[in-house]
Amino acid sequence: MMAIPQLTVEQINTIIPSASAIQEVDRGGQKIVFSGIIDGRKYALKFMAPNPSQAGGQTSEFLDDVASRAQREVETMQQCSTPHLVGMGPIGLSITSIAGEPIIYFSEEFVEGQNLRSCLEDTGVFSVADLVRLATHMAEAIKAIWQFSKIHRDIKPGNIMRRNDNGYFVLLDMGLVFDLQDESLSLSPVGTPLYFSPEQMDFNNRRTIMSFRSDLFSLGTVMYEMATGTHPFTQDAKTTWEVLGNIANVAPQSPSVLRPDFPERLSDIILRLLAKRPALRYRSIELFQRALREVETEGGVQ
Amino acid sequence: MSILAQCGYGRGDKIEQGLDDGAIHGVIMSPRDERRERLEQDIKSWRSRYPSALVMFDPQFYAANLNNPRNGHLSEYDYYNKNSGLRRTHFSGTRIQGYVRECLDYQQETFGSNLAYLLSPTILFDAFRDSWSQIALNMAVESADCHANLDTPQPLLISLVISETAFQAMDPLEEFLDALTEIDAQGFYIIIRSNSASVQNAMESAPFGRFMYFCHVLTTINEYNVIVGYSDWHSFLLETAGVTHTATGWYQNLHQFSLTRFQPSSGGRRPRKRYSSAPLLSSPLINPELQDIYLARLLPRVLSGSARDTSLKNGPAAGEANWTDEISCLAHWHSLNDLSQRLSALPTQPERIQEAERLMQNALTLYAHLGSQGVSFDPSTGPDHIREWQYSLQEFRGLAGL
Repeated sequence: MMAIPQLTVEQINTIIPSASAIQEVDRGGQKIVFSGIIDGRKYALKFMAPNPSQAGGQTSEFLDDVASRAQREVETMQQCSTPHLVGMGPIGLSITSIAGEPIIYFSEEFVEGQNLRSCLEDTGVFSVADLVRLATHMAEAIKAIWQFSKIHRDIKPGNIMRRNDNGYFVLLDMGLVFDLQDESLSLSPVGTPLYFSPEQMDFNNRRTIMSFRSDLFSLGTVMYEMATGTHPFTQDAKTTWEVLGNIANVAPQSPSVLRPDFPERLSDIILRLLAKRPALRYRSIELFQRALREVETEGGVQ
Repeated sequence: MSILAQCGYGRGDKIEQGLDDGAIHGVIMSPRDERRERLEQDIKSWRSRYPSALVMFDPQFYAANLNNPRNGHLSEYDYYNKNSGLRRTHFSGTRIQGYVRECLDYQQETFGSNLAYLLSPTILFDAFRDSWSQIALNMAVESADCHANLDTPQPLLISLVISETAFQAMDPLEEFLDALTEIDAQGFYIIIRSNSASVQNAMESAPFGRFMYFCHVLTTINEYNVIVGYSDWHSFLLETAGVTHTATGWYQNLHQFSLTRFQPSSGGRRPRKRYSSAPLLSSPLINPELQDIYLARLLPRVLSGSARDTSLKNGPAAGEANWTDEISCLAHWHSLNDLSQRLSALPTQPERIQEAERLMQNALTLYAHLGSQGVSFDPSTGPDHIREWQYSLQEFRGLAGL
């Protein structure tokens, strides 16, 4: 597992001299993200490094894995063209070293806005119109990735931003993208367990059954949460394993039960996304999009 | 949903009569049973005579890996003849591509727009996790890829020939559905190889309920078109599962699919004549069963309302001689079509299920009434199959959450 690189603003300035106004914005499990201005535009600057305990004596396989993930993230951003996926910045995949430690870095678009987790905390559950909009935009994002036989694998409220300028929803962080046509980079299930699909846990069999429908399941979990304020699979669960058990075996309550004014049709769509078997979800993103349009037109969504 | 003719040996002019009568809405041709020249000619002529009829060509590639099959006219078709006698080792990726391309090319180049769909080649499998099912899946994927590169407006149906035994277990079935629903095609043409020789009931109740669920996932959930061949009396139940069309033929071996069709004939006598009664949901023997009903003055209660019924109105025994194979077949199609139309006229799946339940309950009541009037039935035509269907429908409802 990669550890967060220990980097300072001064070190970033040394690595990317063209960047100014550098600030740390996020520190995740596998990377550290700064913001910085390059040529008058603000970008996110992402840095990754191997686990310090392995530094020095690290294996080339480990370095390859880190680099491969970053390469896949960059490649996916370059391939996909939709306003609902975060775009590349001016600095492509690069490698440097700080005090003898290898550091991988690149830049991507800095999305000014609020992620869904903080939206939920600030303003509560989404209106039906916002939910349909969220689903429509995420469908575009999933479709753009799937066009290249890839799966995001980490769709969750923290990875979806609502832009301040136009209200568009944007999917971030393609560091865990899974390429069905490439060699696997993972030796164990990856992603955020709370938003796993049932097949994401089925590690031995996943190449044959993982598809965009796994991302649809994760989106269903996000939509459920944004619709009701509760996670569909955490009830009565005290541990992650219990949540995973619920994801695999428990049918969630209909959102319209938890929120009586909620349209039945949209509730059905969310439950369908949360079907245990991929065959019971949508076989194409177009069918999912059509179902959303029906909610908009027939449900009188403003 | 409408009924299609499942063709086989002895076609005569049943197809034309069925289409003229409106008892069938299309045809699935059987190259095994037709001279190639005649088949090609007829398919082309039907297009102009019956422009709205659904005409399909079942390539019957599933006979290509049988041991010494009785190929009939199949050997006149290059896509089959070049590739018959296949063993498991003959299904490598490249070879599959070749089989698929030759089969689809033949349909496309010979018939073009005269066919409603192109049907992919496939092979039979007995279990959803066996190696043959993987080969069938590979053939399906290759067919979709090959079709995507064909310059044709004819949509593709992926063919599947599955043994009834495959429907014993749910987990493998669901895994197979997961894989199947990744295929980009218009739909599926499905044939079930039956274990049963029963006149009314080609499948056991639980496997049939699971097959209904299988169809429901493909049609209602995933919006594929699904045509089920050799479905016979099951047609009206498959309607409740959302199946697009079903097909049945004139002889028992065209009502249910069995590989005996491709094996050396063991001879046998002509089957006894039957009448297909929509109210009874079964095909009683003209003599003595229908005759006994007539003598009990209950004949109008069991007639389906086809124009062909007039042959029986003066007593089935008296009319038996005139009850030809052709009339019997047309009356059979009429009954099945009538049931299907009744269900498909209803707007929602729950209503169709409710209507199917009502039809079965009415049939059981009618059987009981006939019994009380002294009419007895051979076990093969008695009401047991209806109770099994009720169980199948219950199984299906449970699985589909309906």
